[in-house]
Amino acid sequence: MVRFEAQGAPGSSTLPAARVRRIIKEDKDIFACGSESLYLITRATEFFIDSLIREGYEFSRLEKRKTVQYKDMAKAAQSIEQYDFLGDIIPPNISLKNPKNKQ
Amino acid sequence: MSDYEGSSGPVADDDLSLPRATVYKLIGEMLPQDIACAKDTRDLLLDCCNEFIHLIASESNEICEKEAKKTIAAEHVLAALQELGFEKYVSEVQDAYEEHRKQQTKDRGRKSTKLNKLGMSEEELLRSQELLFAQARMRYQNSTTTQSQSSSDTPSMDPAPTNGAQ
Repeated sequence: MVRFEAQGAPGSSTLPAARVRRIIKEDKDIFACGSESLYLITRATEFFIDSLIREGYEFSRLEKRKTVQYKDMAKAAQSIEQYDFLGDIIPPNISLKNPKNKQ
Repeated sequence: MSDYEGSSGPVADDDLSLPRATVYKLIGEMLPQDIACAKDTRDLLLDCCNEFIHLIASESNEICEKEAKKTIAAEHVLAALQELGFEKYVSEVQDAYEEHRKQQTKDRGRKSTKLNKLGMSEEELLRSQELLFAQARMRYQNSTTTQSQSSSDTPSMDPAPTNGAQ
């Protein structure tokens, strides 16, 4: 399922590990992250991008479009359980007929 | 590592995210050649990545703490991926991990292979080094004594002419 091959030297990553480390460090609960773990998280993120964009692409294909759009990503995030954590990031288009907060 | 991020200036910690250009490049590589990605979609992916990193790091940290450890280790990350339903990444990530470790040992090993290639043991290397130093010292001393011979009246090591010229 995961088909992305990292370009460049084996054992390296495309995403910059130092940047990933800084993002991880934003979480104050995390005491320390070993450099090998950092590498694994960096690579896992690359695979994640790959999976997510391909899922989005499948939805754009269903509508015979050549551009992957926001709504394709929204559908991808909703359709796959592992992507539940993206719920707040990709809010589905909220229908005006059913407002969630009634005051 | 350099934090250079092209045209966007210094980034506040709150806005910390992966470098846009790199992520855009990855997207381009992952999609078929004739497929484009809308700009808002690309930016969305950046945010998704951030969430993902936080998710994995946080889960890894919990697993790490359960083992009464303080530093997130590789196995914690692998377990976290499994736990969060990303088991399809696990084998790929493990392969990448193996490659990475091979690369690390190669880099460390490279320092010793240079020496090994000379075919001499450490003792022999030390001896030849001392020999080279001794030779250099002799050359230096010889060059200083020849200088003093030509410029002063002090008797030289060479015994002959002055004695016989009476």
